[in-house]
Amino acid sequence: MTLSEKISDFISRKKVIKGWYALVIIFFIMLVIVPTLFVLTYAFTGWDEIQETVMKAPPEIQYTPTHLPVYNIRFTSQDIIDVTESYSLEVEYDTDRDTTLNHTVYLLDDGEKVIEFQEEFIVNGTGSIWFNASANDTYNYFHHVGDGYQTIRADNGTGLIEEWENEVTLRSGDRLPWDMVKDALIVSFTIATIVTIIDFTAGLPMAWLMVRKDFRGKKYIDTLIDMPLAIPTAALGFSTAMFWAVTPGLNPYGSLSLTSSPFILVILLHIVFSYPYMVRSLSAILHEIDINYEVAASTLGAPPLTVARTITLPLFRAGLVTGIILCFARSLSETGGTMAALAMMSPAMGELAYPMKTGPTLIGAWKHAGGFEPHLAFTAMILVIITLILLVIIKIVIMKFKMPLRKVFPGPERLLSKGVFPKMKDALSFIFMFLVLLIPSFFIFSFVLTGEPSPVDWGGFWGAMRFSFLVAGVITVINLIFGVPLAIYIVRGTNKIMTNILDVLVNVPLIVPTSALGISLGMFWGSMDLGMTTLLVISAHLAFTFPLVVRNVAGAMEELDPTYEETARTLGAKPMFVFRKIVFPSIKFSVLAGAIMAFTRSLGETGATLAVVKEANTVPVYIVGLVKAGNYYPAALACIALIFISFITMMAMRYMTKKAGDN
Amino acid sequence: MPEIHIKNLKKAFGDLVAIDDLTIDVKDGEYLTILGPTGAGKTTLLRLIAGLTDQTSGSIFIDGKCVDDLPPERRKVAFLSQTYSLFPHMDVWENTTFGPIARGWNPEQVEIIGREMLEMVHLYDRKDAYPSELSGGMQQRNALARALSADAKILLLDEPLRALDARLRLDLRYELKQLSKDMGMTTIHVTHDQEEALTISDRILVLRDGKVIQSGTPKEIFNKPAIPFIHHFVGEANFISGKLLEVGDEYSIIVDDDGHKYRTQKTDIKPGSRVVTGIKTEFTLMTKDIWESEDINNFTGSIERILFLGRFSDFEIKLDNGEIVHARLPGYQANKFEDGDKVNIHYSPQRLLVFPEPEGGIKKALEMV
Repeated sequence: MTLSEKISDFISRKKVIKGWYALVIIFFIMLVIVPTLFVLTYAFTGWDEIQETVMKAPPEIQYTPTHLPVYNIRFTSQDIIDVTESYSLEVEYDTDRDTTLNHTVYLLDDGEKVIEFQEEFIVNGTGSIWFNASANDTYNYFHHVGDGYQTIRADNGTGLIEEWENEVTLRSGDRLPWDMVKDALIVSFTIATIVTIIDFTAGLPMAWLMVRKDFRGKKYIDTLIDMPLAIPTAALGFSTAMFWAVTPGLNPYGSLSLTSSPFILVILLHIVFSYPYMVRSLSAILHEIDINYEVAASTLGAPPLTVARTITLPLFRAGLVTGIILCFARSLSETGGTMAALAMMSPAMGELAYPMKTGPTLIGAWKHAGGFEPHLAFTAMILVIITLILLVIIKIVIMKFKMPLRKVFPGPERLLSKGVFPKMKDALSFIFMFLVLLIPSFFIFSFVLTGEPSPVDWGGFWGAMRFSFLVAGVITVINLIFGVPLAIYIVRGTNKIMTNILDVLVNVPLIVPTSALGISLGMFWGSMDLGMTTLLVISAHLAFTFPLVVRNVAGAMEELDPTYEETARTLGAKPMFVFRKIVFPSIKFSVLAGAIMAFTRSLGETGATLAVVKEANTVPVYIVGLVKAGNYYPAALACIALIFISFITMMAMRYMTKKAGDN
Repeated sequence: MPEIHIKNLKKAFGDLVAIDDLTIDVKDGEYLTILGPTGAGKTTLLRLIAGLTDQTSGSIFIDGKCVDDLPPERRKVAFLSQTYSLFPHMDVWENTTFGPIARGWNPEQVEIIGREMLEMVHLYDRKDAYPSELSGGMQQRNALARALSADAKILLLDEPLRALDARLRLDLRYELKQLSKDMGMTTIHVTHDQEEALTISDRILVLRDGKVIQSGTPKEIFNKPAIPFIHHFVGEANFISGKLLEVGDEYSIIVDDDGHKYRTQKTDIKPGSRVVTGIKTEFTLMTKDIWESEDINNFTGSIERILFLGRFSDFEIKLDNGEIVHARLPGYQANKFEDGDKVNIHYSPQRLLVFPEPEGGIKKALEMV
């Protein structure tokens, strides 16, 4: 017996296989599920802390408007620049090398200067930058309310050039941190709801068109719908904001500048990346619905609209649930793009000062500011709980909900079914897709082509790229090693109670907002004090991409008739041989699809990364950083580089999954 | 010796008992058919023998050795599933030689057995074709060649003819038996088709609700069914329930609930017991001439409905006493009858089999599930 036969023999033993499955399940529970939900324990362990810090009003502080400092700032050899009202100030610079502008707010804690807030910008050339050190409540310095200092330093690498220090009084505001959490969550859930409704309204006619109609160029439209999925959301946020919104300090050629409401902008952004999921889910189920039902209804005299409403839609629920949950969860979870979009509407402001925050961006801002651990844990916990409850409710309500579908309105429905109306519906679908999806997604190219170039730190970009690829690569390999056996176990396992539980649990990291997941994970591993940035980022990315591999492979396994494996066994093949010769050839494209999905999701993820560690530099984080600092041109170039890389991987995936479909 | 001994085998899926305390012996070289309605546990039994599922209790012995702890690949049992499960990504040759390669035979041996088996099933010239390019019959033969080349001495066939069209099914069932006999295999063939079972088996085992209800040669099963269910399942039968009045040396007399008497075959059942008596529809004699006979097994009635089946026809007759009975006539005779015809029905006493009345009545006893 050769060595490889001995190994295969050993692996194929019943006990070894059982042990391997046990290991995989333990891996899943310990490295994916427990860390994801660990934050829930905070409700018990951190209750006092929550009461102390999140729910309680800080001490009353008198707001003294007379105390407003007035800045007269002269920078290098330039003139005195603008003196702005209250606490915002604009600093103009003129320097011939990279100069670091460091803006720090100190607070006096028992007479000692404590850094409360710090932001850093690297500037070069001539321009101006805004510092917002407003003492109004948007800063929310809950711990150290009172007097302090604000300093601005400039350093061009040759040491400190200048430093200004001013006394400020920071007012606490009359709102609790809990109010901020509440506001952010309300914003998040409202946006997710509106986005899902719009996705459904616009996605249904499109799915219908793609499945039930044949027209020239359908193939290309099909690809176009998926395009936003290939673009990391950080880049989408940047591009979409440029197209739709009023962005101070940036007015690229062709921008519509239609809205200055962050709320509307974030909705527009979230539609871009969630709409493809809705169309995909709906068309998948539409494919399954036998067209003969519709034919039968038509021959019985029902006009097309009536058929669609009374016959097809009720058969649709499963697809609807998937679509709605996917869109809702994606919108709720998105961090990077939202951060970028919000940053562009309120340039050079501290994140905590943005007029609107979503759950994930609040987590990002608090994490970035530092010192808000109880707040973070609390927010993440609430987010996880509400998400899980809400998604269960969505599932139940849609499956139980009886739409008044039986009632038929022959007159109006017949009228709406013919003539200009169906054409209008189709035309609107296309207009929506181009105007809301594609143009905003790719508007960034217009900016790069027409905008004014500014120097790009390619070293920083490639550094971030290397780190992103390292993380994505490692998680993909680990996902495959553990995800494939888990998927096989879920589908083929004999203990049905166990497999059903695992089947439900696998979806949890997919639904939980990634920034909440990141906080939870950070708490879990942080409590063990491993302290390694890279490992933390890897384990966070592992958790939310793991379901993608398992779902894909489990789907393929369900399609695979178990009698193939059984027949192979009776023919004398050991389990490992069966896997290599029978199972793997049948599911390899799904394995590949899962791997590529995990890889690209990891590559594009911002929220989880920012939530686990303060200083991690993946590409999306790097891009969001550039956008926040107002370095739009380099940000755009980095986006485009990332878009190309993502696109190549997506095309590869389409090619391979298509090949799988042909076989 | 490839004989199979199954002892007190039980398999439960939760509350559902699929195989209930089964004890079976299969002799070396025997062609055994397991006949039963859907849900009787036939496939489960095969899967247990093949080792594809674990029994709840009991043991299986092959060649006198207990195989309970052996995985499927070490039981040397070839399993042919309903759908053949030809590996779609492998061609005929790769499918056929899968077993020998999986068992690690050397290439020359693989070549020899592969060729031998494919020539035997007349598929050698199609060895580069993929399963999707083969007809149903070829697929079946390919699956058989694959099963036979795996060095097994026991062949388990799960409804092997089900997926074929009617004509092919008839041709292939003899071929199947011949091949298995030529190879000296012990075969267990599962089917729900009574005709198939009757034509090919050395022995038939009738399975219902996970239990063996009768075991015997095809003739025994057909002529001496153990219970009304088999009487009805293997062929179709008319049943009368009533009380056993007297038992004679040649005939017995039973009386039905309306007071009508019938002469039936003789029986060991005690007079006075509740019984049912049944006659297969093909033995129910139907003629156009009304017999002016005093025979109590003689009735008149009229044809209510005719079901034309080609080689034969099924008739539904309403007797003058209001009862509905069925008769089956071969085609050349059936042509003479039309809807509404007055007919004479005669039950030959030897064909009226007598059974103790099943618990819950005859209707319930005939239910398929």
